[in-house]
Amino acid sequence: MSLSIAKHSLVTISGPSGSGKSTLLNLLGFIEPVQKGEMAYQSTNVAHMKQSQMNAIRKFQIGFIFQQFHLIPVFTAEENVSYFLARQGLTPDEINLRCRDSLEAVGLWQHRMKRPSELSGGQRQRVAIARAIAKKPEVIIGDEPTGSLDQQTGKEIMGIFDQLVKQKELSVILTTHDPMVQKYAHDNLHIQDGVLVT
Amino acid sequence: MIFLSFMNLFRNYRRTIAVLLTVAMGTGVLFAFKGFINGVLNNYRESTIHAMYGHGQINTKGYRNTVYQKPWEHWIADWENIRTYLAEQDVVKQIFPRVNFPALLKKGNITVSGAGQGIDAREEHTFFYDLNIESGEQLVDQPNGLLIGIGLAKALDLVIGDKVTVMVNSIEGNINQSELVVTGIFNTGTVDFDSRIFRIQLKEAQKLLATNSVELIALGLRDYTDWDVFASAFEKAYPALEATSFAVLDLVYYQHSVDWLEAQFHIIQLIILSIVLLGIFNSISSAILERKQEIGNFRANGESVTDVMRLITLEGAFLGILGSLLGIALTYFILKTFLENQILLPPGPGMTIPFYISFKFQAEMIFSSMGLSTIAAIVASLLAGIRVAKMPIAEALRSH
Repeated sequence: MSLSIAKHSLVTISGPSGSGKSTLLNLLGFIEPVQKGEMAYQSTNVAHMKQSQMNAIRKFQIGFIFQQFHLIPVFTAEENVSYFLARQGLTPDEINLRCRDSLEAVGLWQHRMKRPSELSGGQRQRVAIARAIAKKPEVIIGDEPTGSLDQQTGKEIMGIFDQLVKQKELSVILTTHDPMVQKYAHDNLHIQDGVLVT
Repeated sequence: MIFLSFMNLFRNYRRTIAVLLTVAMGTGVLFAFKGFINGVLNNYRESTIHAMYGHGQINTKGYRNTVYQKPWEHWIADWENIRTYLAEQDVVKQIFPRVNFPALLKKGNITVSGAGQGIDAREEHTFFYDLNIESGEQLVDQPNGLLIGIGLAKALDLVIGDKVTVMVNSIEGNINQSELVVTGIFNTGTVDFDSRIFRIQLKEAQKLLATNSVELIALGLRDYTDWDVFASAFEKAYPALEATSFAVLDLVYYQHSVDWLEAQFHIIQLIILSIVLLGIFNSISSAILERKQEIGNFRANGESVTDVMRLITLEGAFLGILGSLLGIALTYFILKTFLENQILLPPGPGMTIPFYISFKFQAEMIFSSMGLSTIAAIVASLLAGIRVAKMPIAEALRSH
């Protein structure tokens, strides 16, 4: 397939189960290896990239949000955000600043000392979003980020994405089955049997 | 990362406790077995020392390995001066001058040959307490007392209080004799020893032999580990004499038995080690394989395989160290509180007296037990972790 995604836009990818939307997302996020064909990143063929280069892209330029959140259960909300900032090599001051900004952006600063087990599903997903946006990536990739949440909470989450995109801070690519999520998108892509239909 | 590794120990209490207990039990078993081995060997060594030879003996150089026509010409004449020197050495606690001599023992119409030992009984009875006195009592102050092996006693049909005539060829070629009273009958379990040996006071033996010399001086030191340094210094001070440790004197029974026991212990220890390592390995591998999604998450956020392996290995090291400390502490407490001197072992080779095990622990054992368990935990973490860390990220994230 060949597709273009405008910068600072929110794009959803939908399709029936098994159509390849998660695979496409994983390829875009460098978490699934290209087995056939070619993929280029900034004009560089991904097949020629070293593992360290791909690690760096995932560390600095891509923020992931998963359906199951995948938070570190022994860390507080704040530590879940700050750990990966520390792994980026930021100074303590910069880490603290970004932590605060990202948790405030998702409305969870007052819950920063709570562990994931003490947070609701929606709050955990917000922590995951904060973790992703704190990295200041170029793009956020989310695989059914509202899949585990109720409608109301899902709307709140999409509101956050919408605001981030509007503030021209990053691009967002999400897979979803949910028509509510698709309403927020600038572009809805539909995949069927591994082929981009629209 | 160290903080995360440590905190991860508390994320799943049940799993952490299961792994810690596995490591603790494995370490405890290794530690206890080593303590048991040390206890058995220590007891066997001390029993040997306190049964016959002391920590070692002093002879004129070459005396032990040479057959002389007139052995008394190679005895130690100025032994009293040497005793003074020995008494001044910090490590020497007791001094036992002795003479050995062939003799005939007669009771009534029965005459048998025996090998006599003239000893300083007052000194010796406090040190050689492991000589199994089957009946009667130790030779102490009885000037004409006789302590006899059970084989000899049976040959002469002796009971406690019987009178025995001891006939000795003196160094002057005369036959001297003394009538002595049986004070005790011993049984070492060594037929050859019990059928030949009898003991009398040194002064009585010297009178029979018509000499003031002694054949050898046995020694009781502060500790068996003092022997080598003592012997080296002594031989420098008295170049005409040699000092030989009990392990050399009793090579056939003691040293060979120890070597034989240690070889068996090593094999058993290897078997235990294999089981322990397997247990630790299984426990830690299972714990890591349950965390595929988490590891996938780290990788998705840019952590390299090396970063993930570092995290997992640190956790393994923490589990290994904490678990092994717990195991050692618990084992030490249980053994010393409940089992110390409670396990009775049958007599060892060349012994007739059973003994209670006293577990002996050394600092080296703590480090070796901890080290082995921690290494096992780290290796298990590495082997299980590398499988998971190298999984395709998407596959790891999809795992349950």
